[in-house]
Amino acid sequence: MDLDQAKQTYIIEARELLDAMEEALLTVEETSDRSEAINAMFRAIHTIKGSAGLFGLDGIVRFAHTVESVLDRVRSQTLELTADLIGLVLGCHDHLALLIAGIQSEADPAPEVVAAGEQFLAQLAPYLGGGLAKAAPAGHASKASVPASGEAPGRDCWHLSLRFGRDVLRNGMDPLSFVRYLATLGEIVHLTSLFGQFPERDAFDPEACQLGQEIELDSPAERATLEDVFEFVRDDSQIRIIPPHAKVDDYIRLIQELPEEDRFLGEILVAGGCLTRRELEEALKLQRSEAGEEGAVPVRRLGAIVIQEHAVPPPVVAAALEKQKTFQDRQAQELRVVKVSAEKLDRLVDLVGELVIAGASAHAKAILAQGGQPHAAALLEATLTVNELVEEIRDNALSLRMVQIGETFNRFRRIVRDVSLELGKAIELEIHGADTELDKTIVEKLADPLMHIVRNAIDHGIEPVEVRRARSKPESGTLSLSARHESGSIIIEVSDDGGGLNKDRILAKAIERGLVKAGASLSDQEIINLIFEPGFSTADAVSNLSGRGVGMDVVRRNIDELRGTIEVETEQGLGTTLRMRLPLTLAIIDGFRVEAAGASYVVPLDVVIECLDLGPFLESEQNHLINLRGEVLPFLRLREVFQIPGEVPARERVVVIQHGELRAGIVVDRLLGEFQTVIKPMGRLFRRAKGIGGSTILGTGEVALILDVAQMVQLATERQVPDRKRTPILA
Amino acid sequence: MAELIKFSKRQTQSLATAQVEKREQYLAFTLGGETFAMDIRSIREVIQFGGITEVPLMPPFIRGVINLRGSVVPVIDLFVRFGRPACAVAHRTCTVILELAQGDSTAELGVMVDNVSEVLSIAASEVEPAPAFGSDIRAEFIAGVAKVGERFVILLDVNHVLSVDEMAALVG
Repeated sequence: MDLDQAKQTYIIEARELLDAMEEALLTVEETSDRSEAINAMFRAIHTIKGSAGLFGLDGIVRFAHTVESVLDRVRSQTLELTADLIGLVLGCHDHLALLIAGIQSEADPAPEVVAAGEQFLAQLAPYLGGGLAKAAPAGHASKASVPASGEAPGRDCWHLSLRFGRDVLRNGMDPLSFVRYLATLGEIVHLTSLFGQFPERDAFDPEACQLGQEIELDSPAERATLEDVFEFVRDDSQIRIIPPHAKVDDYIRLIQELPEEDRFLGEILVAGGCLTRRELEEALKLQRSEAGEEGAVPVRRLGAIVIQEHAVPPPVVAAALEKQKTFQDRQAQELRVVKVSAEKLDRLVDLVGELVIAGASAHAKAILAQGGQPHAAALLEATLTVNELVEEIRDNALSLRMVQIGETFNRFRRIVRDVSLELGKAIELEIHGADTELDKTIVEKLADPLMHIVRNAIDHGIEPVEVRRARSKPESGTLSLSARHESGSIIIEVSDDGGGLNKDRILAKAIERGLVKAGASLSDQEIINLIFEPGFSTADAVSNLSGRGVGMDVVRRNIDELRGTIEVETEQGLGTTLRMRLPLTLAIIDGFRVEAAGASYVVPLDVVIECLDLGPFLESEQNHLINLRGEVLPFLRLREVFQIPGEVPARERVVVIQHGELRAGIVVDRLLGEFQTVIKPMGRLFRRAKGIGGSTILGTGEVALILDVAQMVQLATERQVPDRKRTPILA
Repeated sequence: MAELIKFSKRQTQSLATAQVEKREQYLAFTLGGETFAMDIRSIREVIQFGGITEVPLMPPFIRGVINLRGSVVPVIDLFVRFGRPACAVAHRTCTVILELAQGDSTAELGVMVDNVSEVLSIAASEVEPAPAFGSDIRAEFIAGVAKVGERFVILLDVNHVLSVDEMAALVG
């Protein structure tokens, strides 16, 4: 196995687990049933630790182990998960992320990182408890079937086999004290003292302990409790604890009911309580040393070792092995989900795009060949079938790249939490439509602008607690992130219930910055849209969050690059909503091809409502209006908007489009029908091109331009305004 | 044997002079009767002019876009960029495809020329700086003027002439 590659996989996995852990930490406060979130974080940290061990990443193992121990106490409800503890564990999470990021560079962690780690460990220490397992009150001895007759062999008892080390007496231990203490845990049914190793008289050392004991103990205690009795002597003594028969059944049942997804036999046995962690470590050490000594000779399996060395009854081991197998089976099943690198997917989508173009080209040529060739009709039919399949492949390939927006949204939980703490504001984050899917490339490019908007909302939107109280609003502000599909686009909204945008201040600032002339009369919406102008920032105080002058203009540019639009709705004192409308994909869309002045253009099919002849529907040529079955719609001529000279044909056609609130007709020369459109980027040179959303390649090999209908309408409206004030093109 | 050594010595010498007299290669082309040349390292290929799609509302020096094996590449009319009337398309009109580093990425661009003539090998010593006046082409577009035989060839500074940032600023 390529270790480097495995390590890479580990890093990727660990990051995912850390993300899951973070999400669990951030949601745990809100959920009523906390156990699931707590289990999720425990599992994450447990797996990170386990896998780190495989690569000998001792630093990570050590750190994760402590965090795991604390979370284990939370899970077993001996420790409450307070807000402070969540904060601390979040800090530990960040530190772990740092350590994992450090694996890649393979350098030793920087001293400050190590110091930070030690600090976290020190902070965690108080949460670790005494370190000793508590005497479990749950230990219900299932001895009901056994008559308490007092006859040793008949009773179902723990069997303790003790061989004290020679130095026990010298170390100040009295074997008798253990017997006394055991008597407090249960009834000592039978005790045999052994002097088997008693030496000859000359060799006798009165200070050396030669004692061994076999004890039958009837006790409801757990194995770990019994083991702890011998804590101070176990290093140099041989202590074996054999469970009662009824306990064996308990163990088997417990193992079968274990909720954990453990892959290690030892871990299963420990979790079931039939093996203590120390015993497991010893057994593993033994296994390793045997492997080292004997080399080629087959090493004893862990199951065999624990049976022989630690007296775990074989049926228990068998049950644990069964459990391990179920886990492995399930893991095999999970492998059916394949992780594919994003690059490969992008390549696939690119190739499918080429395939679509090639398919269209073949089809165009098959049409040209009609009539002449003997098999022309069959050829045409074949190309149609191919194109249908290509269309299906296209949809499938694109759906592979679709991801849910939820993951992106969830990242903001942390930011909202941290930032609101920093600013002393109380903010709740609401998320709607987390399962809405969109293209991965869009999600990636959306992260930055979204971050900006959210930070703006927290920083400038939502007021401090005192101000909110004074305005008789709830003290805790609400920030909401939502996503939904709407007529072929995705709508993403970020809204807050804060102070809203202050139009006077925006206008004053814009005048100060020279963006508008003093005394200019602007509509409210025009004033609000000034925040998207380059170099505009209204923050009175520059905080480290936002207000650095790179602001909403960057956001708008990012959204523009995604072929999306952004708009603001604000109500002074009540809040602000930023609405982004984005295409579902950047790669391939369904288009509708039209022609004007001999050139082909493509209208995204999802904005097309219907097509008609201009003549019968023309209401007013002068005012550019059509009458669509009683509804009056504005229209624009493609030739006019694009200032293309030439003769207008006698019969013109209209494509009725709907884009958000906007409804209008676009007049063209000819309608050419639906067309699978592979979007080709036009490059930076055309970044500011108006009315053009991109380009595509036709079956003939020619380039056709994709229309941006919203911009076209805007362009047409702008040009009209100077001439005569007319109803803006908005339905 | 001695001759062989002598020969190889001479060869080394000529190699050494070649290094001193580094000659750059330029692609020469004509545009409105004048000869221009561009550093050949940024040129990817020369194709026949055609298949162009006009992009509306663009400044006149952007002739449109073409499909270059699946990529959409803009085509610039150099003559208009120099402030002269648009090129007439003739039988020998070509599109020279260049690959230019623009910031941290590279951009492909097509340039329309009347006719591609030859590849010139010009030593740095043969290049005179651009004349301060006398030419109606902006001085920063010219990397230098080289005398080739009896002709003068204007060497273009493609990174200036075809600066995407500058051209994009003229759009809209």
